[in-house]
Amino acid sequence: MKISLAGNPNVGKSVIFGKLTGVGVISSNYPGTTVEYREGRASFAGMTIDVMDLPGSYSLAGNTEDERVATDMLYDQRPDVVIDVMDATRLERNLVLLFELIESGYSVVAALNMHDLAAKTGLSIDVHKLETILKISVVPTVAVKDEGVDELLHAAIQLKPRSTFQVRYDSHTEEMLSKLTSMLRQDDWRIPLRFVALRLLTGDHRIMEAAGERVTIEAERLSELFEEQHGESLIVHIGRDRFGEAGRIAREVVTQTQPSRRRTVSDLTIRPSTGIPILLLVLASTFLVLVFGGGAIERVLVGAYQDLARGFFDDIEAGASSTYLSGAYEGVYISIEAMLAIVIPYILVFYIMLSLLEDTGYLVRVVSLLDGIMHRIGLHGRAIIPIVVGYGCNVPAILATRAMGSKRERLILATLITISVPCSAQTAIIVGTVGNYAGAWWALLLFGIMLALLLVLGFVLHRVIKFEPSGLFLEIPELRMPTLRQTVGKTYIRVKEFLTIAFPLLLMGSIVLEMLMSEGILQRLVDPAEPFMVGVLGLPAITVVALIFGILRKEMALQMLMVLFGTSSLALVLTNAQIFTFALVMAIFMPCLAAIAVLIREFGVKNAGAITAASIAIAIAFGAVSNIILRWAL
Amino acid sequence: MASEITEQYLKVVYNLTEDGVAAKTTDMAKTLGVTPASVTQMLHKLARDGYVKHEPYRGTVLSPKGKRLAKKIARRHRILERFLNDVVGVGVDVGHDQACKMEHSLGKEAEETLCKMMNHPLYCPHGKKIPKCERAVECEKCIEDGVRLSDLEEGNEAVVSHLVSRDKEELCRILAMGFVPGTRLRIEKKLPMGGPIIVDLRGARIAIAREIGAVLHVTRQGSG
Repeated sequence: MKISLAGNPNVGKSVIFGKLTGVGVISSNYPGTTVEYREGRASFAGMTIDVMDLPGSYSLAGNTEDERVATDMLYDQRPDVVIDVMDATRLERNLVLLFELIESGYSVVAALNMHDLAAKTGLSIDVHKLETILKISVVPTVAVKDEGVDELLHAAIQLKPRSTFQVRYDSHTEEMLSKLTSMLRQDDWRIPLRFVALRLLTGDHRIMEAAGERVTIEAERLSELFEEQHGESLIVHIGRDRFGEAGRIAREVVTQTQPSRRRTVSDLTIRPSTGIPILLLVLASTFLVLVFGGGAIERVLVGAYQDLARGFFDDIEAGASSTYLSGAYEGVYISIEAMLAIVIPYILVFYIMLSLLEDTGYLVRVVSLLDGIMHRIGLHGRAIIPIVVGYGCNVPAILATRAMGSKRERLILATLITISVPCSAQTAIIVGTVGNYAGAWWALLLFGIMLALLLVLGFVLHRVIKFEPSGLFLEIPELRMPTLRQTVGKTYIRVKEFLTIAFPLLLMGSIVLEMLMSEGILQRLVDPAEPFMVGVLGLPAITVVALIFGILRKEMALQMLMVLFGTSSLALVLTNAQIFTFALVMAIFMPCLAAIAVLIREFGVKNAGAITAASIAIAIAFGAVSNIILRWAL
Repeated sequence: MASEITEQYLKVVYNLTEDGVAAKTTDMAKTLGVTPASVTQMLHKLARDGYVKHEPYRGTVLSPKGKRLAKKIARRHRILERFLNDVVGVGVDVGHDQACKMEHSLGKEAEETLCKMMNHPLYCPHGKKIPKCERAVECEKCIEDGVRLSDLEEGNEAVVSHLVSRDKEELCRILAMGFVPGTRLRIEKKLPMGGPIIVDLRGARIAIAREIGAVLHVTRQGSG
């Protein structure tokens, strides 16, 4: 049995999907988290159910990338049931998509999500009446609290026959619909003829092709005639009828039990005079928590680890039968230490902060606030979301660029993200080295340089690739209180990847390195790189190994540095200037393998190669300049 | 001001003489549902007031003065029919009967707004041409001249009147978000540096770029 989850953006589809399938997905309080559809499996009442999570869309007309994916999936997969997840606080608009789903002949079950929020804002919805009007099951849910999800699944597997509810269009439209349906045969179609006729009139190419020339020409003629007579596009007309119907239904089933409160706090975040200071405050506190909070956690963890494990490892290393083996043991010891020093303090803390920013819905406010500035670098405000996601990991950020209007915008944005947005691993390197040893101001300077690079690069790319950025058009969600459960769940999904993929890699890498080092082989291998590393970047030759391992995974660079020097306190072996230059080069230096792979997939080998080459060139140039300035200044 | 019955008669004459022929008394009697004798009596009165010219054996034609008034009534009737049919959703026959009653009380301003709101319809549901209004501007100009969403100031309230865009996808995107004609909205904030306009639409907040805002034409409402 196949179930699809459909709904407007930002209504909680992903949360419901997660609850149904147990598959960890990341939800956010902003539209456009799901750019591709996701599949999962649920077991319920002895049945296996395939569940598909579709990107949020306002209609089935396929006007944006998200909508096209959703519409195509629905059409190709023909799910047995479609669960339409609706935002109970915005019933009227959410009904419009529901109409389309019913019109297109699916067996639909509606989830009235965020039911608690609606009640809190004084809205009371007569669910029974809504069911009677729409002739479908409507289940109130509060997905984040796991309320109503079982009932929803229960309603879905009933496989009720499709609803006979119909939106009443005005007489002229109805006349055209019946004229067209009389020209079609139900046997030729898997979807209701009325829906076929509607799509023909609104110019759906896919349906037009399937319907054949005769009907298509008639549909075009009718719709042109309509426009001529009414002086208004048929599309606008149909939209108006749907919203009219939705409004009528909403008025019938929704009662406002208490006057809605005026928003105050959320106003402050949008108004520039207060919004900009709030934004700076948020950025500053994120930075401070990361540097000082992360640093404190690191000291406690690493200190405790050294006290507990050093003796144990010293013993087994002393008892090892060969230098290779003791090297391997040392590799294991340092890998665990590096993990404790990087992943838990910085990456974990960063993801907790990020998930708080996402869940509150604050990010979307930043989008509107900075839209004007973003236009100067050839992007609209929505680009902020992939950029912020990129501070977590560049891979989903590059995927998230799909929400941008044009191909060129996407390419510019992906380039900016890969080159000038340090991901959480790179941030861990910056904060864990520069912030820790050279001080918070130096770390701030480094982030400042990265931000300046982002703006300059954006400005230059905008000049080179000339085009007009498409306009922002986005719903701003209400500010919500993030729940502990959601924050923990999301952070777990994100950090899990580091533990399951990155840690084994780190472990392997350090064992290999330790073994190479124990015989002095490594030294001979890096010798050819010495003139370049020392001469241009002012770094010890051996750090080239860290740069190269960084391509595999960014956090490995720092880890390898610790293995190479045999200590986690880099201040003993590198000067502050060297640490700064190293972190700066690492922050820009070529994207990790996963990022390159996704760049190739999204933009082709040529573009991915160009971005990679540019990042290497810029990294070396910045490193050389930093080396010269710091040597001269300090 | 002409009485309702005068207006009613003039409209009927207008309908019957639209093709350029004179109106016959019997046809008028049939349309109005009265006897030919009372029609003749009324026509004499109208001729005395200078609205029509009655030519025995040929029929009745409108004088320039009568034509101006008749055109106005026919226009209101047909716009109302369009409105009752398209927006209110009552059938063509009910719409016609209703429009016959409403046309005499519809004011000039309401008529103009209705016309704009429905994006200057050219034909009534029966397929008859809707006469142009008396304003000196071209219809095309009138559409373009409307207030755009992006022209409004912070705190202004308005109703979406029509959408002007040749781009079908853009149109669909805007409609799907809920900006359909007749929807009331309020400008919450206009962000500086060419930033977006923040609109309150049915309690939802939508950030919309200024250039997209220019697609939406609106009618200002008293702010409050």
